[in-house]
Amino acid sequence: MRGFAQSIVETVRHPLLVLDGNLRVRKANSAFYRTFKASGAETEGHLVYELGGGQWDIPRLRALLEEVARDGASFKDLEVRHDFPHLGVKVMVLDAHLVVHDDGTPMILLAIEDATEKTQALDSLLNLNRELDDRVRDRTAQLEAANRELEAFAYSVSHDLRAPLRALDGFSDELLRSYADKLDDRGQHYLRRLRSGTQRMGQLIDDMLQLSRLNRVAMKREPVDLTALAEGVAAELHGREPDRTVAFVIESGLSAVGDAGLLGVALENLLGNAWKFTSKKQSATITVGQQSHEGVPAFFVRDDGAGFDMAHISKLFGAFQRLHTQREFPGNGVGLAIVQRVVHRHGGQVWAEGSLGQGATFHFTLPQEESS
Amino acid sequence: MSDKIILLVEDNEDDEELAVLAFERSRIANAMVVVRDGQEALDYFFGTEANGGKDAKAMPQLVLLDLKLPKVGGLEVLKRLRADPKTRRLPVVVLTSSKEEEDMLTSYDLGANSYVRKPVDFTRFAEAIQQLQMYWLVLNEAPASGGDRP
Repeated sequence: MRGFAQSIVETVRHPLLVLDGNLRVRKANSAFYRTFKASGAETEGHLVYELGGGQWDIPRLRALLEEVARDGASFKDLEVRHDFPHLGVKVMVLDAHLVVHDDGTPMILLAIEDATEKTQALDSLLNLNRELDDRVRDRTAQLEAANRELEAFAYSVSHDLRAPLRALDGFSDELLRSYADKLDDRGQHYLRRLRSGTQRMGQLIDDMLQLSRLNRVAMKREPVDLTALAEGVAAELHGREPDRTVAFVIESGLSAVGDAGLLGVALENLLGNAWKFTSKKQSATITVGQQSHEGVPAFFVRDDGAGFDMAHISKLFGAFQRLHTQREFPGNGVGLAIVQRVVHRHGGQVWAEGSLGQGATFHFTLPQEESS
Repeated sequence: MSDKIILLVEDNEDDEELAVLAFERSRIANAMVVVRDGQEALDYFFGTEANGGKDAKAMPQLVLLDLKLPKVGGLEVLKRLRADPKTRRLPVVVLTSSKEEEDMLTSYDLGANSYVRKPVDFTRFAEAIQQLQMYWLVLNEAPASGGDRP
């Protein structure tokens, strides 16, 4: 073999054999000797099947090599898993190619790559993936169990906590009714306070349950006419307090894809809030519309009421968090938490801006595409 | 005093007393019988096994049934009442704390005539009781018996 060709064979970092047309080794590079701990004497001039105590005598390799020698075909990426005497179990990837020497004699280049580590890495990656899958499945099952537990808890809260409240309220009422003559004004006042406290707690329990139910109800995805929903809520608010002067400015053609029931609940709370926090004003305006926010269409509900201090924005959407006293504006602090849950279940975002005495604006997005 | 009987199936003493109070406030006085768990309710209608069912009591005109009951639950009681010809048409009003939609749907599926959630506000509870009494014992035309004559 010419020096040029020899130096190419030597330069290749993977073990490389040069075979003649009879599959006898003409040349092996030093990577081959190093990898298989063989010497030139026991390699060159021997049939490839005899090398290393016959460790390459693998039927599939034999068939392929003979095909290469006979037809000049080639093969690539032949993976051989084999227990090599000096190396142990290895995965070798073989490529073979027929070249014809200048003098017309055929030569076969057989390149051998030790892919054991690569294969092991792949195997462990697959194992890791399987483990991860198992773990995700386990965690999901745990979460589902926790969720079921929570539902059972909510159920028993609904049933069990309300019962003693009914007793408190009922017997206080009976005291006020049948024993009023035995109680002075102050005593009656305390009983009334007791009743309003129990009724408020009943309302809190109901709100808490509504909040938990929002996460459990199945959600539909259908076109929803938000303009019509908002107009309905506005009419209801006017009907409830006909003496108030509140102008609703509701943009026409507001539509979204989502659950009409849930979105109705969200609008009831947003408009109800706007209605409540403008109650100290002689006349007020509540605007419902749509504007683009960072290229995404966002809906908004704006009022010119009491507003809030942006310093407390982090508390705004938290359940049972309030920025006003009961005396100023009554409520349980559940409304905006409900709005946030509804919007999040639709895969959207909700945020607010406002300032004290300058009104508040609530924005929300409702992505059109399917989201979980 | 009307001879019509209301059977209250209620395990909570407070709720029992409140229901009695609410009935007392209404103008129409009916005899109210209270049983305190689901088994007692079934024994009331069908008698005890020990006596071969011979100690079944007088048929009420209205049953107020709580759902969460010891021993035999309210829904099971309802199922058994609807399965027996004697009590198949008996007006049964589910009176419960539960606002779970599923409880309500199951109650109606099993043949409840009404589903009323006990409010915390006693004034409203008393009103609800009076309306129930007025509707089921005065306005409503009940069949001659709770069910077919045997």
